[in-house]
Amino acid sequence: MESFETIRATSVSEAMTLLNEPGLRSRALAGATDIMLLLRHDPHYCDRLVDISLIPELRKIEEQNGRVIIGAAATFNEVMESPLVQQTAPALVQACHSVGAVQIRNMGTLGGNVVNAAACADSLPALICLDASTSILTPAGGQSMPVSRFVTRPNHTLLPSGGLLLSLSYPIPASGSRSAFLKLGRRNAMAISRLTVAALGRLNDDGRIAEARLVTGSATPSIERLAAVEELLLGEAPSDLLFNLAARATVAEMLRLSGRRWSSEYKIPALEAMTARILGQVFPLAAA
Amino acid sequence: MKYSLLLNNQRVEVEAPGDISLLKLLREYLHLTGTKEGCDVGECGACSVLLDGKLVNSCMVLAAQAADREVITIEGVCLPDGSPNDLQQAFIRYGAVQCGFCTPGMILAGEALLADNPQPTRTEIREAIAGNLCRCTGYQQIVDAIEQTSLSRKEKKGHA
Repeated sequence: MESFETIRATSVSEAMTLLNEPGLRSRALAGATDIMLLLRHDPHYCDRLVDISLIPELRKIEEQNGRVIIGAAATFNEVMESPLVQQTAPALVQACHSVGAVQIRNMGTLGGNVVNAAACADSLPALICLDASTSILTPAGGQSMPVSRFVTRPNHTLLPSGGLLLSLSYPIPASGSRSAFLKLGRRNAMAISRLTVAALGRLNDDGRIAEARLVTGSATPSIERLAAVEELLLGEAPSDLLFNLAARATVAEMLRLSGRRWSSEYKIPALEAMTARILGQVFPLAAA
Repeated sequence: MKYSLLLNNQRVEVEAPGDISLLKLLREYLHLTGTKEGCDVGECGACSVLLDGKLVNSCMVLAAQAADREVITIEGVCLPDGSPNDLQQAFIRYGAVQCGFCTPGMILAGEALLADNPQPTRTEIREAIAGNLCRCTGYQQIVDAIEQTSLSRKEKKGHA
């Protein structure tokens, strides 16, 4: 007796029909890298898996009206190898590159990473730093919301039952922007993130900070841009002193949002160093 | 359910449950035991196979996801007469095979890399096998074997 069935959908409309058949607990299946682990713990996790990973329109990566749109079933490897993403979002390329190893990146998808919403999901800080939005289809129609609102807390999203995440998109950053992503894990490959940080920045013509975005991962219960740190940076000239101040402010935000935890002793100096380092990458210091 | 796949360049059909992994389908229903079960949670790479040419952990793929697609296992990596190919010979020559448990996955990771990037740097080789654990060799010999194969394939191509 099989504990669940797997059906391959060939189009979005077929997937929606399969996902919404009354009386069955159905879940969308993309790269399977998270769901296989869930199924091992609970073979009766669902009655039906709807394989959406081969639906062509869910794998497209394209530019539309100043935004980059990434199909939810695009794999981490497809995202990091896309010239469009490489040109517009180095932070997302680096985040996808830091996931697992080749085997996982060939199967795991950006949409799956967002819907699974693990506390340590590598793509989330990068997507939120890029002000990315989700596009969701429900039986009642389409809707869109920022990734930072879609993911409410670890392993929880606002995906309605019977809904399907179609794509993620982000506005192309203003020209002259730089972005980066750093991950701290126990080793390079296959490591679950202990801490991640994503940043995006741009200087104005007189060398002062015109735009600053900073997001941490695995540090706070909900992932969002750290406005307090960003405000501290705006309008200032980049300097090591400024980066160190911002790094201390980032740690203060982590402690304010998460409280002091068993891991704080480790995370405080680590996050401080990572923040200062990533700010140095996105705001190049003027040659002395 | 009835599975049909292009396995090691041969069309195969097999009846098996719909809720099993590709690894289980290969080992227990198709009796191809060259693909190893190590951790069964996608961490060790011993079960690596090529799915439509891409390296994947077969323990992390549902068999149903591989239906009607192309799968290459270690049994499909050999010369036309069935003997070891140049990469496999290099593994033997460089001492890259010790207990042998990681070897099928390592060979497939090496072939996937060389298909994609015929002249990788040593750093690229290390990254390509980063998802494959080996507890015997310390990896040096494996990197050497893949690097040597890349060089000798390049030379062969130059002569052709």
